[in-house]
Amino acid sequence: MTDLPPPATQPPVSPQIGVDEWVRRSGERIVGPRGALGVVVRAAERTPRIVLLAAFVGLTAAIPALTTNQYIVGVAADTMLYVLLAVGLNVAVGWAGLLDLGYIAFYGFAAYLYAELSSGHYNIHWPTWQSVPLVIAATILLGFVLALPSRRLSGDYLAIVTLFFLEIFNNFTNNGYAWNWLGFGATHDVTGGPTGLTNVDPFHAFGHALTNRPADYLWVALAGFAVIAVALTYANKSRTGRAWRALREDPLAAELMGMPVKWLMLLAVAVGAGVAGFAGTVNAAYYQGVFPTTFYFPLLITVYAMTILGGAGSLGGVALGAIIVNVLLEVLRAPDHARWVFYALAIAGLLVKLRPWRVLAGVLAGLAAFGVVVHAIVAAVWPRGVGGPIAVGPTSFTTHGFLATVIRHWMVLPKHTYTVDNFRLGNYAFVIVIGCVLACTVVKGWRRWVLLVPTLWGAAFVWENVLIEQAPTTRPLLLGVILIVLMATRPAGLFGQTRVEIV
Amino acid sequence: MSGVLAFQLYDWHYLFSELVAGVTIGSLYALIALGYTMVYGVLKLLNFAHGDVYMVGAYIGWFVLTALGAPLTPSVPLVPLLVLVFAAAMAGCAVLGVVIERFAYRPLRSAPRIAPLISALGVSFFLQQTGVLLWGATPRTYDTFDLHHGVLFKDITVGNFTIAYVQIFVFLAAAVLMLALTLFVWRTRTGKAMRAVSVDPEAASMMGIDVDRVISVTFLLGSALAGAAGVMTGIVYQNLNPYMGFGAGLKAFTAAVVGGIGNIGGAMLGGLLIGIAETFTSGYLSSQFQDLIVFSLLVVFMLFRPTGIRGTPILQKV
Amino acid sequence: MSETEPRKQPLLELRGLSVSFGGLSVIDGLDLHVDEHEIVSVIGPNGAGKTTLFNLITGVFRPDGGDILLDGESLVGLPPHKITERGVARTFQTLRLFLNMTVKENVMAAQYVRTRATLLEQMLQLPRARREEREMDVFAEEKLGFFGERLMGYRWNQPAYSLSYANRRRLEIARATATRPRILLLDEPAAGMNPVETHEITELIGKLRDEGGYTILLIEHDMHVVEGISDRVVALDHGVKIAEGTFDAVATDPRVVEAYLGASATVTK
Repeated sequence: MTDLPPPATQPPVSPQIGVDEWVRRSGERIVGPRGALGVVVRAAERTPRIVLLAAFVGLTAAIPALTTNQYIVGVAADTMLYVLLAVGLNVAVGWAGLLDLGYIAFYGFAAYLYAELSSGHYNIHWPTWQSVPLVIAATILLGFVLALPSRRLSGDYLAIVTLFFLEIFNNFTNNGYAWNWLGFGATHDVTGGPTGLTNVDPFHAFGHALTNRPADYLWVALAGFAVIAVALTYANKSRTGRAWRALREDPLAAELMGMPVKWLMLLAVAVGAGVAGFAGTVNAAYYQGVFPTTFYFPLLITVYAMTILGGAGSLGGVALGAIIVNVLLEVLRAPDHARWVFYALAIAGLLVKLRPWRVLAGVLAGLAAFGVVVHAIVAAVWPRGVGGPIAVGPTSFTTHGFLATVIRHWMVLPKHTYTVDNFRLGNYAFVIVIGCVLACTVVKGWRRWVLLVPTLWGAAFVWENVLIEQAPTTRPLLLGVILIVLMATRPAGLFGQTRVEIV
Repeated sequence: MSGVLAFQLYDWHYLFSELVAGVTIGSLYALIALGYTMVYGVLKLLNFAHGDVYMVGAYIGWFVLTALGAPLTPSVPLVPLLVLVFAAAMAGCAVLGVVIERFAYRPLRSAPRIAPLISALGVSFFLQQTGVLLWGATPRTYDTFDLHHGVLFKDITVGNFTIAYVQIFVFLAAAVLMLALTLFVWRTRTGKAMRAVSVDPEAASMMGIDVDRVISVTFLLGSALAGAAGVMTGIVYQNLNPYMGFGAGLKAFTAAVVGGIGNIGGAMLGGLLIGIAETFTSGYLSSQFQDLIVFSLLVVFMLFRPTGIRGTPILQKV
Repeated sequence: MSETEPRKQPLLELRGLSVSFGGLSVIDGLDLHVDEHEIVSVIGPNGAGKTTLFNLITGVFRPDGGDILLDGESLVGLPPHKITERGVARTFQTLRLFLNMTVKENVMAAQYVRTRATLLEQMLQLPRARREEREMDVFAEEKLGFFGERLMGYRWNQPAYSLSYANRRRLEIARATATRPRILLLDEPAAGMNPVETHEITELIGKLRDEGGYTILLIEHDMHVVEGISDRVVALDHGVKIAEGTFDAVATDPRVVEAYLGASATVTK
């Protein structure tokens, strides 16, 4: 009755050479970072995690001993705070695949709560060992409560609720200096309003106040990071971590395989909130004050950029992402450094992306020629257009130095003063350059290389004349660009694993 | 007796003016919410950047207004001036919306859901900071009070109730635009294609619909409406700053959710509801609680009626 | 399958189950039962409501009317993960593996519902968490071993997306068994398989019942599989049961033939 062929012989017990060996070695062909980065990543993967963590902690803890430059130690302390934030955000975004946009509100909430409990504001000075755990617990609870309304819906709704909460939180911290409950009773100064709360107590450890800033707080943040990193790594390797990852892959299948998806969602947001809570207390104690403007949307974008760039889903990756981004942002504060960063990155990008060598040489030569020609034309037609100073600091200029000399002959620098209106030309140039960059991604072949020359020159023009001086705006601008470009080209970031998606 | 009567009259007058103010801002929220709801219907994407497109529209309008010499020395009479300002803002935002879709979202069509959301976040932030870069962080103003000697702000008074020309104008303009959109979506081929794509993009493409073009048109229309809303904000409320899109966007999104995400009539209804709720809260309670009330509405709807007033439940294919 | 045993309560029972979407009745007054250790196949043309049936049983959709009973207790209204906890597991018509997780992780993830250690215990690596982790590891290897050598050894640490189609189907079944179900709902397990693989799957289903002790409710289009393994066959058309019985009885039932082939067809053997 059946017309099937007879069943095949038993499948081989041991791997078949030529067939299964190839499959077995597929791990070596897994799509991960290639080239130099790949070598580093694979070396790191082979080292036991605890060794990597110990090395990192040791090196970072040694920074205050290696340098007396308080600025550098301060940057290190700030970076550690960012590392904590990125690691916390990674739980919800990287592991569970949820878009938690209110994350900074957790950070701010914890900072403010610590400030209320341990400061001169209400004159209650709770000791550190009391206020910090309470604040962390309260922040975790807040995380649960905030995630509750969206638990029955898709992750998109979680994004909106949390983002709106951030806005509410910002409103509250700004306006909370004259808060009266629905018009009854006296007004209370709950949050100190736009000037924030000051006189916040430093941490007290073992009866001794931590006043050696920033080094003390670098160590506190580092110690917290070590504990949190270990705890989170264990969590990730456990059933909860697998359930989070299953939730990220396919929430419906996860639910049908017995995983309580809604609870896991709450848990992920709450754990992230807990980490942010710890970071918040460190922030408040370190700066001995809390201010509303710290916890605005730009900080959210910064932490997201760090997490995505580092590689969402990889704890080590996001920590590195935080370090890279914060160091980059610090470097960009000074126009002189920013200049070098721009040209270095541009040249590096060209070297990496432009193959073959002929094209690269052609573009570079064309670029040099283009700049010189434009400079000559502008100098002849509009002399004021090339006489401008080259900024090296907020108010200082230079006309000497190798790079400055090159730029003076290659770039058009209109004379201007530091008022917004005089940047009119720069504004138009900015928009035009954006258009050119987008056009470059669309055209193909030789047209792209040709278009690249004026685009790059235009970008340098905008950089020199507009962006370098507007550093407080340029830095956030770059973060937005990082997010957009990463998502379109390399969503796994630098150290994340490339994922396969079901279409 | 006459004291009681007088008190009653006073109360109604205030109620009316609050209602009118609520409808005015509600119309603006409705216009912005339409963009959110249409894009969500077609792409299932929350376009965070939409609020900032609205902001750009307001600034483009300001740019044209000042370029034409307004508000103090306009070189063009009132009506053509307004038409020009609207046209410029709507066209500019339409282009911006299409560009954003083409470069920030289209490459991510087959990426996981979270990717275009993060990209949208990046675009939103980029637009805000570009606004600061190009126009400065200090607020700019339309100064329409001074435009043609403030004719826009003259009142009509009937009995004890007053309404300003500009409020009527905003409501009418918004209504006209929404009517035009409804006609477009329900009476044209492209509108039909939009509805088809929002139900099932794969099937629509197999029926010969150019899904990419439909999505571009959706963004074009939504962004144009947002641009119009931006200009209207400038006209009525004067002040612009690069961060204005953020808060307005959140409230407009709430309006879209409350009305039923993906549903055009729902967006209009939701916008009016949110506008009125917000205005009444600030008028009768305190402006401190404005955002909180809107947020609470969002949470309440998400908990008890996630598909909104006009929405239909979405089935999941397993 | 002794005939002399008194009639026990069926493991899974559907009574008058109905659901309609947007006015279209997809399942209408369906009565179905599966006794313990039985293998029941559900057949029917496309659109007959078979996968909807599975979605109803597993809690993805809520029925408009009727009841679903597992061991006499109603499953209606429970969230899907609770239904899985009660002992119902399924596979999917279009595979839904956790592609970026390894083979072993897929199976271990499904054991969430049978473990108890809290997140805090896991973070602090307390004894219960460590013990459960080891147990899950061993159990996963056991479940994967059910399929011979195909998912064993070096395969454990390979990402699921690197598996061949047939292996992915096997992995999905292994994952479902890791939830320690009492009844397995298999949705077209032989879809897309060549005759050799189909034969293997048929034997495997039998092995699942005989050695694993599972009860199986099966949706299949491939009549070789249905014929080879079913104790009982149920035919659906447009959400209504049109025949029930042994394979031979159902396959020659004129209503079934009409549903598949149209009114003027006859079956020749």
